[in-house]
Amino acid sequence: MSQEGDSMEKLKGLQITSLDDDEEEVEEYNMNEEEDDDDEDDDEEEEFVTLGFVEKPKNPWSLLRQLFPSKAGSVPAWLDPVNLPSGKACVCDICGEPLQFVLQVYAPIEKEYAFHRMLFVFMCLSMNCLLRDQHEQWKRHPEKPSRSVKIFRCQLPRFNPFYPNEPPRCDGTDKPSGTGAALCTWCGTWKGDKLCSSCRTARYCSEKHQAMHWHSGHKIDCQRMSVSSQSSDCPNKNGTTSANLQKVASKTLWPEYEMIIENESEPSAEMSEDKACTSSLVSKEKVDDTMNSLMDSFEGDDDRKSWASFQERIGKAPEQVLRYCRNGGAKPLWPMSSGQPSKADIPKCNYCGGPLCFEFQILPQLLYYFSVNNEVDSLDWATIVAYTCEASCEGGVAYKEEYAWVQLSSPSATVP
Amino acid sequence: MAERGGAGGERGGFGRGFGGGRPRGDRGRGGRRRGRREEEEKWVPVTKLGRLVHSDKIRSLEQIYLHSLPIKEHQIVDKLCPGLKDEVMKIMPVQKQTRAGQRTRFKAFVVVGDNNGHVGLGVKCSKEVATAIRGAIILAKLSVIPVRRGYWGNKIGKPHTVPCKVTGKCGSVTVRMVPAPRGAGIVAARVPKKVLQFAGIDDVFTSSRGSTKTLGNFVKATFECLLKTYGFLTPDFWRETRFTKSPFQEHTDLLAKPTGKLVLEEPERNDA
Repeated sequence: MSQEGDSMEKLKGLQITSLDDDEEEVEEYNMNEEEDDDDEDDDEEEEFVTLGFVEKPKNPWSLLRQLFPSKAGSVPAWLDPVNLPSGKACVCDICGEPLQFVLQVYAPIEKEYAFHRMLFVFMCLSMNCLLRDQHEQWKRHPEKPSRSVKIFRCQLPRFNPFYPNEPPRCDGTDKPSGTGAALCTWCGTWKGDKLCSSCRTARYCSEKHQAMHWHSGHKIDCQRMSVSSQSSDCPNKNGTTSANLQKVASKTLWPEYEMIIENESEPSAEMSEDKACTSSLVSKEKVDDTMNSLMDSFEGDDDRKSWASFQERIGKAPEQVLRYCRNGGAKPLWPMSSGQPSKADIPKCNYCGGPLCFEFQILPQLLYYFSVNNEVDSLDWATIVAYTCEASCEGGVAYKEEYAWVQLSSPSATVP
Repeated sequence: MAERGGAGGERGGFGRGFGGGRPRGDRGRGGRRRGRREEEEKWVPVTKLGRLVHSDKIRSLEQIYLHSLPIKEHQIVDKLCPGLKDEVMKIMPVQKQTRAGQRTRFKAFVVVGDNNGHVGLGVKCSKEVATAIRGAIILAKLSVIPVRRGYWGNKIGKPHTVPCKVTGKCGSVTVRMVPAPRGAGIVAARVPKKVLQFAGIDDVFTSSRGSTKTLGNFVKATFECLLKTYGFLTPDFWRETRFTKSPFQEHTDLLAKPTGKLVLEEPERNDA
């Protein structure tokens, strides 16, 4: 009985058509698909993107936390100065070193509990950790994610115990409503819980930083510090308008910049035409082998195409370091076609279980502005993409961890 | 600080931060842009190689060729090879059938070269001729290759011809280049003659076969031919190569290590 059933199925599969008709239909269908692709490209172009540029801060007080700045490099201007991330959240999960501050973005949304909303990006300085992080990143739903790039989100309502309810005057006289937690003397980034046992003045976030500070001068200063602390108060490390730039002892922090926000200029119709150009659009009569062979070697494979369109897009504003777009359908601008996450690779929010959405991406021009070395083992990435909770959930920890996706530049094809 | 005075009524004087903007005509070109020209000239490198070139750690294209590093930014070639000239070989209109008739685009073939051992070829298609040419020039710069020149007979003076007989093929077109004595000039058709002039070859005999009417294949075949000049093993290369370190070594993937302790120790040593 089953045999008869099989043969019936085989007969059903047979169709009687003429070969010519099939080919024509297929080609026309392809043409329609190409047209649809063009339309989709046009729609993508219309997503409105805000760009971030880095500039030297105008005044030494411009980047203090009471002014809610967007900045890159040096130390973070913590939004919630008291409930800072601590413990495992501050360190690279792979090597154990405390993370270094990259940039922070002030991105409020239209919710009462998120009147002030800041996103902080930290990463480990070691390229080895970044390479291992790539492996970790591709693991879906690991038991314990161990990353070397971390993003924190903090939000406050307008009426909060840390800042006045009125907007800052931005003239150098603004002060926060209270002092913050003491920070590490070496990195100036993380909470300084541990005291130096001899002078009881210097604070550290971790043993590593205490050791580094000791070896690079604290050994000598320690005696002096313990004497002077008995006579006068130590200068407050947070929020005052006195020069707080010299307080950080570490030399490896990146230079400080203010982030200027600008809208991306309207993509012209010409741009979308060029993008659609990369797909085959020679008419049926003119298709021949020469066209295909030429296109293969000079218009390149997928990676080169995505790189070319990436360069075109940033070419309008080559100094940009950040691309921000929180709209629902926004997609990041990927430099490479390989190494992109699929929907399933992006996990759910750790705190509310809701989906994550693309918020912003960091571009490699930042490495140039940070004057990162170009040694064998120095940091290098193609882009870092931040995915944050779509609902920007509230409640729980003050600094919530979000998801970062790093795309490294692949050591791909050579020059033809 | 332009963004502070934004029209966010509910925020009072607080800054809008990122994500507050919608396309507005008045705020389009803000204060920091002093003029389009300045932005176009300033180059902010995106790749590691770009950063090395920008900071003058790499002085010549040959260092990049030696290690076969992919060049992704055309400004690298601009900086390392300042005398590049470009020439448009052909603008070819290609058409696509749409519901509303035909849509014509222009395909530009551009050759760049410095008449001294470097040539590049680029092809770009675009709706406007100027855009196609501009795009093709950028692609041509990205594909610049070194050309090896040699002698026909006595090794007097500078090399002037190809070092040996080489041939390149693309589609049905094969182009064969044969060393020629000084004063012979470039004996070739109009199209490859242009490419060879850009390459800096003074004398050569060529012979071609196949449908040379197709300019795309013809040009690509000569390009392949020139590419092979450095691929040919001659007796001067018999000596063993001493490998040098590349400006940046390609990162090797760390093998997955089973125990966590081992992983921790290694990076610490590197940092210290």
